[in-house]
Amino acid sequence: MGPNLFANYGEAVSAILFCIGFTNLLLQKNLIKKIIGLNIMDSAIYLFLAEKGYIAGRVAPIVVNGVTSTEAYINPIPSGLVLTGIVVSVSVTALMLSLTIRLYTRYHTLDLDEISMLLKKEGR
Amino acid sequence: MYCILLSIFFPIFAGLFLLIRFRTPLSGERKGKERKPLLLFAGTFLIITALFTMAALLTAGEGFTLFYLTGTLPIYFKIDAVGSLFSLLAVIVLVCAGFFSFAYMKHEERESRYYGFYLIVFGVLNALCFAGNLITFYLFFELLTLSSMPLVLHTGSKEAVMAGLKYLFYSLCGAYAALFGVYFLYRNSETLTFTAGGVLKASAVAEHGGFLLVVAFIMVLGFGVKAGMFPMHAWLPTAHPVAPAPASAVLSAMIVKAGVLALIRVTNLFGADFLRGTWMQTAWICLTLITVFMGSLLAFREPLLKKRLAYSTVSQLSYILFGLAVMQEDAFRGSLLHVLAHGFVKAVLFLCAGAFIYCTGKTRVDELRGIGRRMPLTLWCFTIASLGLIGIPPTGGFVSKWYLALGSLKSGIPVLGVLGPIVLLVSALLTAGYLLPITVHGFFPGADYEGEHQKKQEPSKWMTIPIVIMTILSVLVGLFPNAVFLYMMQ
Amino acid sequence: MNFICNFPFFSILLSLFSGTICSVLPAKAAKVVNRVVIAVVGLLSAVLLVYLVSVGEPFVYWMGHFPAPWGNEIRAGILEAGMALFFCIIMYLSMAGGAHKLYDEVDESKHNLYYILVNLLLSSLLALVYTNDMFTAYVFVEINTISACGLIMIRQVGRTIEAAVRYMIMSLLGSGLLLFGLCIMYDLTGHLLMSNIKESVGLLMANGEYQIPLIVSVALMCVGLCIKSALFPFHAWLPDAYGYSTVSSAAILSSLVSKGYIFLLIKIIYRVIGFRIFNSTRIIDVLFVFGLMGMIFGSISAIRENDIRRMIAFSSVAQIGYIYMGFGMGTQQGMVASVYHILSHAATKSLLFIAAIGLTEVSGGSRKFVDLTGAGYRNKWAGVAFTVGSLSMVGIPLFSGFISKLLFAQAAVQVEGKMLASLIVLGISTVLNAVYFMKTVIRIYTAAKDSPYEGISFGKMKIYAVTLLFFILLNVLLGVSSQPVVDLIERGLSMFA
Repeated sequence: MGPNLFANYGEAVSAILFCIGFTNLLLQKNLIKKIIGLNIMDSAIYLFLAEKGYIAGRVAPIVVNGVTSTEAYINPIPSGLVLTGIVVSVSVTALMLSLTIRLYTRYHTLDLDEISMLLKKEGR
Repeated sequence: MYCILLSIFFPIFAGLFLLIRFRTPLSGERKGKERKPLLLFAGTFLIITALFTMAALLTAGEGFTLFYLTGTLPIYFKIDAVGSLFSLLAVIVLVCAGFFSFAYMKHEERESRYYGFYLIVFGVLNALCFAGNLITFYLFFELLTLSSMPLVLHTGSKEAVMAGLKYLFYSLCGAYAALFGVYFLYRNSETLTFTAGGVLKASAVAEHGGFLLVVAFIMVLGFGVKAGMFPMHAWLPTAHPVAPAPASAVLSAMIVKAGVLALIRVTNLFGADFLRGTWMQTAWICLTLITVFMGSLLAFREPLLKKRLAYSTVSQLSYILFGLAVMQEDAFRGSLLHVLAHGFVKAVLFLCAGAFIYCTGKTRVDELRGIGRRMPLTLWCFTIASLGLIGIPPTGGFVSKWYLALGSLKSGIPVLGVLGPIVLLVSALLTAGYLLPITVHGFFPGADYEGEHQKKQEPSKWMTIPIVIMTILSVLVGLFPNAVFLYMMQ
Repeated sequence: MNFICNFPFFSILLSLFSGTICSVLPAKAAKVVNRVVIAVVGLLSAVLLVYLVSVGEPFVYWMGHFPAPWGNEIRAGILEAGMALFFCIIMYLSMAGGAHKLYDEVDESKHNLYYILVNLLLSSLLALVYTNDMFTAYVFVEINTISACGLIMIRQVGRTIEAAVRYMIMSLLGSGLLLFGLCIMYDLTGHLLMSNIKESVGLLMANGEYQIPLIVSVALMCVGLCIKSALFPFHAWLPDAYGYSTVSSAAILSSLVSKGYIFLLIKIIYRVIGFRIFNSTRIIDVLFVFGLMGMIFGSISAIRENDIRRMIAFSSVAQIGYIYMGFGMGTQQGMVASVYHILSHAATKSLLFIAAIGLTEVSGGSRKFVDLTGAGYRNKWAGVAFTVGSLSMVGIPLFSGFISKLLFAQAAVQVEGKMLASLIVLGISTVLNAVYFMKTVIRIYTAAKDSPYEGISFGKMKIYAVTLLFFILLNVLLGVSSQPVVDLIERGLSMFA
């Protein structure tokens, strides 16, 4: 277990980061902190993918100097997945931020529980 | 085949037609005007349905499958002797009580809803009687609960709504317990079509017979809810009295009998030979005897007339169930006869109670003193019916109870076989105790009774004729029980 | 390759691009485009279904020119095509039934936005149904979430925005877990296409390698999708989101969006992990237990609710529990029952939402039970429809709910260890359902003394009434002639393997 963990330190770090992000998204009361948690969580996954896709001693799969041997490059698919994932997480973050702005202009607070209390008081 | 389908679906669609055609609630001046076509429609539909049902009974032939619910579960109809007996009772009670309601419901609101659901109940009852397998039976059993619920909560008062919910809650619990059994029966039997002598696979009996007994007991408890068997009887005294009187007559005389029919079917499916002499039979007999005794006792203490009659229903139905639980031929005959006798008698009693309420507005037993001077004919019918329920010859109740006791003694079940008739006898005494005082005080109010308005006040003919017809029938059942048996033998 | 094989691709693309086109159209035109697209997609799916039934073989469609291990693929079998057809029907009816309410609740200028979102939702649902690629599935899960969030908050009041935020947070947690599980799976097998992953997983299991990461990955994906489909105890966001959004959204969310995720989970179970391997894990026991708990607690919450829309929403929690209970049984029959319940619940729940709105409209817009007294007389169509939906939910014979309960019970009888628990909970839940649905039905048919609210006549709500009629027919059809549907589901599931 120990040596494996050390050899795959990148994956271990990404798992820890994922947990940090997940707990933040779940438990933080402040909406902005929740969104930061979301981004940590997503980044952790991209780190994981990047770590898995990297092969020591090779370069990014962009043909330079006419070298076409597959031995020279890393696997391009994980990189592609990371790119797609980043697009998704950017759009989701944007949506969350816009929702947060709407709530803030209505209730002047970023605390989700407080907003729930206010809504109950409104009685609608 | 077409007669069966017509007798089931014609009243259902006719009921829906009434519900849609007369959907706006009548009130004020318009009520009198619009009431006539409603009654005309309802009466015609009732009679047509009755004719279809009689035709179906006369042309009874091979069973047929309507369609398949899922791959292996057909909706199957077939007329057999037991079913046709129940159906005959249903026709008579529903037509009589239906005509009674034409007068009784005059001042009630939302009559169209009442007649609509009344007709639907008629159709569903027919379907129950003609159902040829357990799945079909179960399907219409559920529908019966649903379609009869609006009759219970007709008045719409808070009490009625709560009673309706209680009825629904108990019935659904019971039906689900029964369905629970259906799954296991389905797995362990050759078929779910009603066949004499049981349908269990021999291998299943050998392998887990003990478990199947538990299943049988659960099914008895589940279907027993509808028949008001202890320990799930509490809905009956709540739900029956709050309905309008003719509806309580139908509920007490006919709808609870659906539970009896269900138990006849269940014992048939498991086979009497499989159940006889097991703990399950003993437990069932005990429950019925407890119910018989407890029902009579509670009725004895009850001051409200309709509620007293409802408790009496609880007790009398368990007479029938006792006959089934003994699983002996004579007792079974007694049960079937008591189904008829109790059906007529209880309908008469509730209709009389309805007539009292309609004419005088009095609901408590002690208020009914001297009622015989004002409504002698009604009270006479009430008295004859009471005698029938107590079991005094020559009424129907006597013969049926005779057969029940005889069968119980013949069955050779230790202790309970002898204890049974004793309990039945004690309960009959209690029955006399809670019904006869009404007659006695009704005719002989005593010296201190001040006849406020002594003039006769019989209800209209719409009310008296159904009562008289059914009183006569209840006596006829006692005079010619062999006719019933011959009919069953065919 | 037959021309019909292009249909899945066409339907996804059609709904995707019509969404884009809607953004530049005026509201009226967008509405027409939206309806036409849903109808056309439904038609395409129906043709596809007929074709697949006659051929009897699923087909795989390459997206682009790369063969299996590299390219992206679409796969269509009977179950996929049937599901797509059913989704289109429900979506069309929900949109038609809630259309008049949209004018009341949503600003006119936002209408074409709404249609964009609905089209996007349809395309993402279709993609979830048809795709054979895990990462594509993830991307469309996110698109689904975003458009669903938009559907919730299109009605701009405080409650809906808060509900949308809560919905987003839970969904993001779910999709984060799904993505992480997916990455581990990719790491273990080196593939993203479902069929290739399944081969590798089979090999790994046979060799006994990487057992723990494999289970972790499967568990992460399952939990992720459970959160997204609001399985108990992850249902906190649901009542607000379903209860306060505009009615078409509520109907679509409850009957389609959550079902899309569940369908993806079924695909993962069958096509990624393999049914047998999945059933040998402990995960099904966990799903089973949470399913049972959902059935009970969902109903209890619904009983305590005093708001008709929220009550229906809580009942969804219970019904989702049924579906997961079917998964948890770990048998083919349990799965068939679950898929049938997806259909039955979708048909019933959207009917209930649409009918409830008709009842609240004639009660001064209030959803409190006190005000609903006698609403069944004021709006007869909605009253009848609500009654039918309730009866189906309770499981009365002749309606679709009865058949699904029958299937569940038949499946339960076959599973020795879980038989008693599932039958008892099924019974309790049936009775609890009866308590709150029948209470409501009686309430709406109790005559109200001097009610201040006016009734509504058929002439003023033709489209609404016809929609309800179709919903009722759909329900009765599923309840009476269930056998063809069950046959199709069985054939479709066997095509999955």
